[in-house]
Amino acid sequence: MAAQTIRVPNIGDFSDVEVIEVHVREGDTLAAEDPLITLETEKAAMDVPSPQAGKVAAVSVRPGDRVSEGTEICVLEGEGGDEAAPGEDGESAEGGAEEGPDAQARADDQGADTGDEESAPARSDGAKTVIAVEVPDIGDFSDVEVIDVQVSAGDEIAAEDPLITLETEKAAMDVPAPRPGRVTEVHVETGDRVSKGDRILSLEVADGDGEAKATARAEPEPIGKSEDRDAARPRAAVESARREADGTPSAGPPAGLAASGPGFAKAHASPGVRKLARELGVDLGRVKGSGRKGRITGEDVKAWVKSALSGGGPSALPKVPEVDFARYGEIEIRPLGRIRRFAAPRLQASWINVPHVTQFDEADITDMEDMRASLKGQAETRGLKLTPLAFVMRACVKALQAFPNFNASLDAAGENLVSKQYLHIGFAADTEQGLLVPVVRDADKKDIYELAEALGTLSGKARAGKLKAEEMQGGCFTISSLGGIGGTAFTPIVNAPELAILGVSRARMAPAYRDGGFVPRLMLPLSLSYDHRVIDGAEAARFTRALAAALEDVPGLVQAIP
Amino acid sequence: MTAQLVVLGAGPGGYTAAFRAADLGMEVILVERRRELGGVCLNVGCIPSKALLHAARVIEETREMAPHGIRFGAPAIEAGKLRGWKDGVVGRMTDGLAALARRRKVEVVQGTARFVSPHELEVTGAGPRQTLAFAQCIVAAGSEAAGLPGFPDDPRIMDSTAALELGELPERLLVIGGGIIGLELATVYEALGVRVTIVELTDTLMPGTDRDLVKPLLKRIEKRYERIMTGTKVTSLAAEPDGIRATFEGKGAPDASELYGRVLVAVGRRPNAVSIAADKAGVRIDDNGFIPVDQQMRSNVSHIFAIGDIVGPPLLAHKASHQGKVAAEVAHGGKRAFDARVIPAVAYTDPEIAWAGVTEEEARADGLDYGRGAFPWAASGRSLALNRDEGITKLLFDRKSGRLIGGGIVGTNAGDLISEVALAIEMGCDAADIGLTVHPHPTLSETVAFAAEAWDGTLTDLYLPKRS
Repeated sequence: MAAQTIRVPNIGDFSDVEVIEVHVREGDTLAAEDPLITLETEKAAMDVPSPQAGKVAAVSVRPGDRVSEGTEICVLEGEGGDEAAPGEDGESAEGGAEEGPDAQARADDQGADTGDEESAPARSDGAKTVIAVEVPDIGDFSDVEVIDVQVSAGDEIAAEDPLITLETEKAAMDVPAPRPGRVTEVHVETGDRVSKGDRILSLEVADGDGEAKATARAEPEPIGKSEDRDAARPRAAVESARREADGTPSAGPPAGLAASGPGFAKAHASPGVRKLARELGVDLGRVKGSGRKGRITGEDVKAWVKSALSGGGPSALPKVPEVDFARYGEIEIRPLGRIRRFAAPRLQASWINVPHVTQFDEADITDMEDMRASLKGQAETRGLKLTPLAFVMRACVKALQAFPNFNASLDAAGENLVSKQYLHIGFAADTEQGLLVPVVRDADKKDIYELAEALGTLSGKARAGKLKAEEMQGGCFTISSLGGIGGTAFTPIVNAPELAILGVSRARMAPAYRDGGFVPRLMLPLSLSYDHRVIDGAEAARFTRALAAALEDVPGLVQAIP
Repeated sequence: MTAQLVVLGAGPGGYTAAFRAADLGMEVILVERRRELGGVCLNVGCIPSKALLHAARVIEETREMAPHGIRFGAPAIEAGKLRGWKDGVVGRMTDGLAALARRRKVEVVQGTARFVSPHELEVTGAGPRQTLAFAQCIVAAGSEAAGLPGFPDDPRIMDSTAALELGELPERLLVIGGGIIGLELATVYEALGVRVTIVELTDTLMPGTDRDLVKPLLKRIEKRYERIMTGTKVTSLAAEPDGIRATFEGKGAPDASELYGRVLVAVGRRPNAVSIAADKAGVRIDDNGFIPVDQQMRSNVSHIFAIGDIVGPPLLAHKASHQGKVAAEVAHGGKRAFDARVIPAVAYTDPEIAWAGVTEEEARADGLDYGRGAFPWAASGRSLALNRDEGITKLLFDRKSGRLIGGGIVGTNAGDLISEVALAIEMGCDAADIGLTVHPHPTLSETVAFAAEAWDGTLTDLYLPKRS
């Protein structure tokens, strides 16, 4: 029976993500698309579905584990009875767990006698044998770091192909393949430390001459014996030089200086302190000296590193006083919701980093609401819910097109403005899990109906907790509408690194003075918070004016998009 | 043969690099063309010349005590014995180095090396030609005395190496080149009774050195040397049975040609980058024959480092050894850089001249806003007690930060005294830091503190009018 290892798929930009739930157990029978586990990313929880049907042979993750793309989730036994592949690995629940369903094809590739395959017992003396390739004698070294793994399971390799790169104290050296074959399993990862005799990988080799056992121990080049060594070292040397040329990390020291900022040459620091700073990668130009006459001491350098590591820096935020609430009455402690826990630091970061100003305005949406009411029924027949938000988003597109400065972000250094040639608009969705911000892609290319459709789909997914990470990424501007609940105005926090956010409160009837008399008009309160580092007050006022005008220009709102 | 690190050249830079790398656990081969370690410095430079300069000083000092009640007879000089003593000093040092290399398991290969590829050197020596493969290389191949083209090949025309051999002492010696090397050797030969003539192409002796520091030396040697010609060049040297006939041209030139028993050519040194075929490894050599390096001592080929004379001025052993340590540590993966702010320079003439950091000439040329504190040794009891009064210690301070930026000393043991100046600059000291540091009395080192006090306005050992 063929077994397939199921791994974490591409989950967007995330890695090291927590498993919050495991839905399957050993022995379960699954259909394709059945959820296997639930991951919690920074933005939302997501299920990883099974790519195929099968029976769970082994589960490799538990709730609380942190996984990345490629992490093994479980082993699934296919329903087909293809027993062609003799597995080498007894570690999995059922022997041969690592072998994929492509075993047959592989056997063909190797030109082995496929006719015998079906009856070939595992580890047979027949066409193929799995050997363990071990770390060879690498001289006096042990506990050496693996800095690169060049092969992965399934790779066909030739003899002498580099398998992994070890970094000894003296140089990087490649461990070459002892013979050709197919990698069935890799036992080491980059960053592992290995010594002579440690298993690197399992190699399935053609075994016509019965040589497999004899060569089960790989004998790569850098052997600590005289002649061999002579031959091996230059190879290691050339290897390391080659890597340097490629710009990839090498055995040798770093290519550039860790610290040689402009302030280094003039810093009031003794040679010993300068040496320490270089070792720690500190630009002395950024360190303030505490010694006599402002001399930078070693302690200053260390303190600078500490504060840099803790992220706070010397201007760390003053703490909110801790209060023992239980002293004043009964309390109950409930953990913060997942979404809130993730959102909190982002909101805090925006609040601290972005100088916020909020501009208030009103738009007359009497005509807009008339139009919406007239189109509503027609939209419903198409399965669309034509909400005011769709109109507001359409108006925002127009305002953002007129004021491209709002569709931009400051770069990390705060020196350049990154203008976006696309326009994705996020909207705050109030869900049971907490506040989510799905993003409508290419809002500028969607007419009012298409916007309504996108809003409906994304809101539905948000409420059901089915939003994918990428559906909450890439926003250029955000709309937070509390109009359905009430309120007259509020000051939303910019969804940094976006530059502005529009808050929409409840529309209300108000007397408007027109043609010598008061008439009732439906007024929509707008609250635009913006990043004052980039946007001036006058520009913001013009923006909200343009936005109100767009909301009042009803024919413009319902225009088809070319 | 192969090694993780090959160090090319066993001078002060090379052996320091090799030993440091070995101490860090690297496998090191040290290639040296001489039989002995130590390079020019130990074998034919700093050390033998200092031994002979000591001899010269003993002669001078005894001679100078004659008017003050201690009279010796004229010295009887046995050049052979003196040479033997000097060679003994050198031998002790080089033997010591060989032992240090053995104990560190640094393999020494004797022979002349040339690059054949970015990862291989070919070594020709006593044994069969062999190829050394390396992962990293530190080039410390140094420099050699530059000759003057067109002069006859005659043993009586010497470079500094030959002059230190101290063969037969001539009656008259012509020193071509009024730089540090020429002046030091002139000091030796003059003390041994040779009549010395110095000819220098530029208008001053020791060009680039502050005039006020050179002046006491000039004053002393003008009286003693047969002739000092500046702004003058030697147009020809002709080997004659009785000596070398030299003709001159320029503002100090004598009317007729002169005959000298020996001629010392000390017109500078030339880097050895070309002779080791650095270009075969892809290493860039600049127009002056030096190998350009970055602050980590890497050449343009990042696994090949270069240190010492071969990377350019100043051509000084103590610069080379510091660069050697940096190169070794960087080769080992350390985050190091050669960022010394000053490299002191010393002329072991009599009197000695030493300086560190910005010279006054440079400060003026660069328009620096600097202040100068100086102390004349005529007011130093210790100097007078040494029967010398011509010395000066001067310190230059940045007016804005108050920090020491340079200093120069002329006088007995100036070379030893300059270390404090270098340390003070590296530590960012200002005048008060130096002046408030208690210096022992009576020493010449006090003059450094006094110079600082002179700038600080707190000096009591002299009367200086108040600065406005």
